[in-house]
Amino acid sequence: MTSEIEYSSFELMAVAGARELKDGEIVGVGLGLPVVSSFLAKRTHAPNITILLELGVVDPQPIELGVDGLSDPRIWYRATVHTSFADMLGSVLHKGLVDVGFLGGLEVDAYGNLNTTLLGDPRGKFRRFTGSGGGNDIASCARRTVITIRHESRKLSEAVSFLTSPGYLGGGEQRARLGLPGGPARVITDKAVFGFDPHSKRMCLESIHPNTTLEDVLSNMGFKPVIPAELPVTEPPTAEQVRLIREEIDPQKVYAGG
Amino acid sequence: MSKLTTLAESVASIPSGSHVALSGFATARCSMAFAHEVIRQGIQRLTVSQCVAGIDADILVGAGAVEQVINGGGSRGRSGQHQCLCRAIEQGTLVSEELSSLSMTFRYLAGSLGLPFIPIRSLNGSDILKRLREIDPPVASTMKDPFTGEDWLLLKPLLPDVSVVQVQAADEDGNAWILGPRWDNEEQAKASSRVIVITERLVSNETIRREPDRTRIPGFRVSHVVHLPFSAHPSSVYQVYDFDRQHIKLYAEASRTPEGFKDYLDRYVLGVREHWEYLEKVGGMKYLSRLMADPVLGY
Repeated sequence: MTSEIEYSSFELMAVAGARELKDGEIVGVGLGLPVVSSFLAKRTHAPNITILLELGVVDPQPIELGVDGLSDPRIWYRATVHTSFADMLGSVLHKGLVDVGFLGGLEVDAYGNLNTTLLGDPRGKFRRFTGSGGGNDIASCARRTVITIRHESRKLSEAVSFLTSPGYLGGGEQRARLGLPGGPARVITDKAVFGFDPHSKRMCLESIHPNTTLEDVLSNMGFKPVIPAELPVTEPPTAEQVRLIREEIDPQKVYAGG
Repeated sequence: MSKLTTLAESVASIPSGSHVALSGFATARCSMAFAHEVIRQGIQRLTVSQCVAGIDADILVGAGAVEQVINGGGSRGRSGQHQCLCRAIEQGTLVSEELSSLSMTFRYLAGSLGLPFIPIRSLNGSDILKRLREIDPPVASTMKDPFTGEDWLLLKPLLPDVSVVQVQAADEDGNAWILGPRWDNEEQAKASSRVIVITERLVSNETIRREPDRTRIPGFRVSHVVHLPFSAHPSSVYQVYDFDRQHIKLYAEASRTPEGFKDYLDRYVLGVREHWEYLEKVGGMKYLSRLMADPVLGY
């Protein structure tokens, strides 16, 4: 495919995230890039997805994305239902009805376990961050999750400082044995897209973004992923996808800036 | 029966050492005027529970009023971390019982229903659960589902002494409307022994009875009603006013260091006698009127 259009790595990641959503699915959305991915999917190939915000908002159609995350009323605009955690995270997510949950974090390990709590030594000196919020719940109860994270060695880490949200734990059947459904399906970074090996559940390289090399991908990771024999290039965004993000979904560049 | 009272009186009803549940979420409907008054009255050793930590919990922790927090984590979103909370946890000066949004909600829900425990799928396999299991007396356990034989994690209910609920409208009896998403507000209020309602707008009982579908907190659970406009400032109240980006930035800058936080506290909390003086200090009606919500947008 020849594509001369210019796009940022944020836009490429947002489009890769959108591609993970199938029409008709129920999507649990956190703050940041997943918001852009979900609204993009809804305006393109998946008009019938239902977008849920954990604090109690169903299918919003914001005209501004807001600056302060989920608690910013801008992102609740034109919802069909205003409800509660017990409803969104309980009777939808815990009951098993959320198809896809988006997650991000400070660190992710080779088995898709996420840390959003702290960096350093949990029993000694550490720096404290957000903690779980609904992250652990989504990681535990969604049918599948999509993780988006910056591609840096300290973020793609052999071991996380604190396991806030479970991926495949130690790999293999460990997650399933605890009675947890689903698990991470994809990890999208600004250099590559990963899946998970069906047996070992170790992160497995699926595609490399345009203008990136395998060496660049691997030298900026704290662990070695499974590398398949054939390695395609990630499909770049189309001109229309880029236009939608820039002109309709995030015209104020709330998220596109970083 | 009218329960209408002053903020000072409602706060004075809370003894040091109480378990206070807060209704705020990040920078939405946080009980800021309440937190300020708790600090001014010198109430100490509180346990503060909340689904997702708000700036109300942050300022209470920064001021040293809190011994323990129970929450599902939380930040101010894109405007950064709750610096006072993070600092206190890093330095080990605060006991932090940390869960997730749903596990907090389930614990309040169990409390609201009078259940002895509640099973949950979340937390399994995480370090959050490892930490919870170290708490004595225990707050987490497991059992076999007597019907299927499946293993389940169980959590203990939360039963706060008092829940402070920040609402858009209430009558003197405490019948309260919450507009917009309600996160854990109802479960939390109903798990608590009593409720303090802080309302932006005082409405008549006639108004409540005209639209009872909107009532989320029934008056019979409420011990005090406080009518106090802009009592969530600088956080937002859906349909009433937007969050104050400028003042939150100022607070974020100040709370970056203990010294900066102390200056903020001296100026905006301890340096004023009451809420109305605070509102003057942040800019008065001329400044605040710019935050008033558009009725269609809600912000």
